[in-house]
Amino acid sequence: MVSRDSLKAYLYLSPALSVILIFFLGGFVLAFIQSLGYFPAIGQENLTVRYYGEVFRKPEFFRSLRYTFYIAIVSTTIATVIGTMLAYYLLRSSVKKSYISFLYKFPIAVPHLVAALMIVFILSQGGIVSRLFLKVGLISNTASFPAFFYTQNALGIILIYIWKEIPFVTFMVYTVMRNIHTKLGEAATNLKASPGQVLFHVILPLCMPSIISASAIVFAYSFGAFEVPYLLGATYPKTMPVWAYLNFISADLSARPIAMVINMIVSLVCAVIIFIYYLSTKKYFGKWS
Amino acid sequence: MKKLLIVLMALIVLLTGCSSNQSVPAQVQGKQTPLDKDWESILADAKGTTVNFYMWGGDERTNTWVDTFVDSSMQKEYGIKVNRVPMGPDEYLNKLIGEKQANKQEGSIDLVWINGENFRTARQANLLWGPFAEKVPNFQKYVDQTAPDIANDFGFPVEGYEVPYGKAQFVFAYDTSKVKNPPKSSAELLKWVKEHPGRFTYPELPDFTGSVFVRQLMYELCGGYQAFPYTEKVNKETINTQLEPLWNYLGEIKGDLWRQGKTYPSSIAAMNQLFADGEVDITMTYNPAIFSGMIEQGLLPDTVRTYVWNHGTIGNTHFLAIPFNASYKDAALVLANFMLSPEAQLSKYTPENWGDLIALDLKKLDPQSLKQLEGIKPGIATLSSEELQTHRLPEIAAEYIPTIEGLWKEQVIQNGQ
Amino acid sequence: MYRLKALRRIVLISILVVLIFPFLVLVVWSFSQGWASNALLPSEFGLRGWRYLFSTQSAMLSSLRVSILISLVVTVLGLIICIPAGKALGSYSFTGKKVVEILVLAPIIIPTVAVGMGIQIVFIRYGLADTLLGVILVHLPIVLPYGIRIFASIYKALGTKWEEQAKTLKANGWQRFWFTTLPFLFPGMISAGVLMFNVSFSQYFLTYLIGGGKIITLPILLFPFVNSGDRVVASGLSLVFILTSLILMFAIEKIITDPEQKTNFYYL
Repeated sequence: MVSRDSLKAYLYLSPALSVILIFFLGGFVLAFIQSLGYFPAIGQENLTVRYYGEVFRKPEFFRSLRYTFYIAIVSTTIATVIGTMLAYYLLRSSVKKSYISFLYKFPIAVPHLVAALMIVFILSQGGIVSRLFLKVGLISNTASFPAFFYTQNALGIILIYIWKEIPFVTFMVYTVMRNIHTKLGEAATNLKASPGQVLFHVILPLCMPSIISASAIVFAYSFGAFEVPYLLGATYPKTMPVWAYLNFISADLSARPIAMVINMIVSLVCAVIIFIYYLSTKKYFGKWS
Repeated sequence: MKKLLIVLMALIVLLTGCSSNQSVPAQVQGKQTPLDKDWESILADAKGTTVNFYMWGGDERTNTWVDTFVDSSMQKEYGIKVNRVPMGPDEYLNKLIGEKQANKQEGSIDLVWINGENFRTARQANLLWGPFAEKVPNFQKYVDQTAPDIANDFGFPVEGYEVPYGKAQFVFAYDTSKVKNPPKSSAELLKWVKEHPGRFTYPELPDFTGSVFVRQLMYELCGGYQAFPYTEKVNKETINTQLEPLWNYLGEIKGDLWRQGKTYPSSIAAMNQLFADGEVDITMTYNPAIFSGMIEQGLLPDTVRTYVWNHGTIGNTHFLAIPFNASYKDAALVLANFMLSPEAQLSKYTPENWGDLIALDLKKLDPQSLKQLEGIKPGIATLSSEELQTHRLPEIAAEYIPTIEGLWKEQVIQNGQ
Repeated sequence: MYRLKALRRIVLISILVVLIFPFLVLVVWSFSQGWASNALLPSEFGLRGWRYLFSTQSAMLSSLRVSILISLVVTVLGLIICIPAGKALGSYSFTGKKVVEILVLAPIIIPTVAVGMGIQIVFIRYGLADTLLGVILVHLPIVLPYGIRIFASIYKALGTKWEEQAKTLKANGWQRFWFTTLPFLFPGMISAGVLMFNVSFSQYFLTYLIGGGKIITLPILLFPFVNSGDRVVASGLSLVFILTSLILMFAIEKIITDPEQKTNFYYL
């Protein structure tokens, strides 16, 4: 017997669920069907898994997957650690925090394409810092300036990601941190706990779910991002989303199902990582609820 | 709260207003296709419409020329508005394939700028409407229809499915104040690259310009364009063996390229940016006039010059075509016709506008236009048309190109890692 | 004491450098006329870039209008959809709640490129491709998760006591919502509204793929400039983009804030 509450809840949820189911998950399902080879335009109407096999056998597949993982893991780790540190810093310097707490949110408002452009203007070999070094005599020509973009270490891409992601993590963690600090942190201090003990035994554990969820969102974004690696990535390997897109617009029509297979793999990786994150929050929830 | 309601109302009004501006293309022309009508009717039916012209948007000069000269002339003379959409063949062909799959009969694209392997792909997938060339008066009047580079596009028969737009030729560029003796052959390039490591590169294939650079080397190393006769089917292994000398050459220069050949600029635009920033000393282009334009805009120093190789460089014709589901075919025909007029071709050739070579038959031009043509001086960094024509090599069959591009990726990029 | 002060100074300076310096670089570039490669400063200043941007040929003004329109509509629709959804997740327990919670997070987990490439063909078939409506519809699901999370936590913290009080005072459903719940929702509407606007305003891939070249928004205009092209124009365009983003975020905050309520925390 469906409770009245359930009915009401689903009624309230119906607009949101229909939008997400039709216009988002619908697209996902369509991509899945197309990854199984459904492509009437070239006369393929049967479903097959052979494209999956094809992709796994391609040498680019492993290289691309590794490259994408590398970028996502490095940027997520740095963003999470520094973002949390910044949130704690804001917490502790509560006296004149007004302008810092206003300023740090600036990158969140800046669209990621603009962020990329700004950082390219600064760090590319034809950019400001390179010219500064040239002027000052640290390098003899701009080609000697370290390469940040179009490289296999993806330094430039990672920097662009963390420029946007650190404030995001701080933003997500800070509110929770402040609530906990005012309620429980002060109580702990009254019980003669040192700031360090308060941080590591009270604040961090209670903020963990928040930190983890911010981290998960950042990872999913970095892994599935398209614009920045497309514009600023190395010739080889390409990141998975870029590789998918290049197959998608290829004149060779049989590359279309390949694009969809790559899309599915990217989605799967993101889903698995999020699931792992979710499992780890259970550990923290279990302790405190 | 009241403020929120006011904003909501304003939004609703804006949205409905904007939607009505986004006119859904509806052919109000009955069931007659333009091929059945005479030119006068086509002109009459096209009046008051907008033609959606999809073209590669990587050259600001070209974009400006279309947005200003072409659009205002079309509006003044024919009452037709030109909506330029900066989307290149890779993407608009993908769009057309999608529209064909969805069986969308009233498409979003009316006229496209196209050539080479993209034309071949479009024809094989039945994405183009035609044959329509015969219907275009200026095509009949001014174009040498029998010329091999008009009747064939990279060897593929045109058969009236596109009309010529202009001509391109592959040239190199350098800064005379920095480079004294630019290399004019593959052998000279090899030497130059070894003496100047890190100062040369080329765009990553399948960029159009990167692709033609590799073919340029191929002509010199693998027996010339004659070694690649027209064919409809290419055998990957046979070609690969034929191209051995090319892969060996590219392997040899790789370590001395920009970034030690580990990465290449993703497009010709990115490559020209490296050149402008002084990161490489030589660049390349399919448009011999582009650097004169950049000098004028202050984006390059006036010591930049272009040059061709001793044994010639590859040249081709580029075209205009109409998609199978164009919603405004009449307007597309009128625009194509305008583009083939001496007025438009001469304006296009003027270096301040674009500098693109004309596609018309000089023998068919009226004396006044001829005189105007002779009066146009090529830009400061552009070679004379004589120099270009005496060093011009034909393209090979479109069929080869995707295979060569795929092999480049395997041989030079993947195997080299 | 001194150590803390030094630390504060380091943090402050690094934040200023990392945030303000890029912005300054844009400003300088946008006002330069000639800037030779390798020179540290432009040789000439001028308004060439700005004049071009404000001319009709650059399409800056029209794409700005389109961008704002799309993002405002997406934000408003998003708020209307997220509030009841948040109520459902925050105030009720029901069968399948766990599943719904995950579903609602799907747009954050599954990358938009996959969905965009998958859905394009259907949008073309149903005439939604190349239209404003199509772009709005495809932006909507990706902004919803942010809003729903915010409102769900508000409703959860709110509890039912206010509504029950109002019920005993004979207020009907709509009155209960308007007078007891809505004032508490305002701060959430700000943060959700601002976040949703931002996500839609910065969106490139979906607008490009579904808009098909016909719907030109600011990110689409800016895209080719990231790795090539006229830096003067690129800088001006970026500045317009940032400023519009900031201005609109402040505007949303001003419109939604009820001047009498001084609640100042952001639920996330």
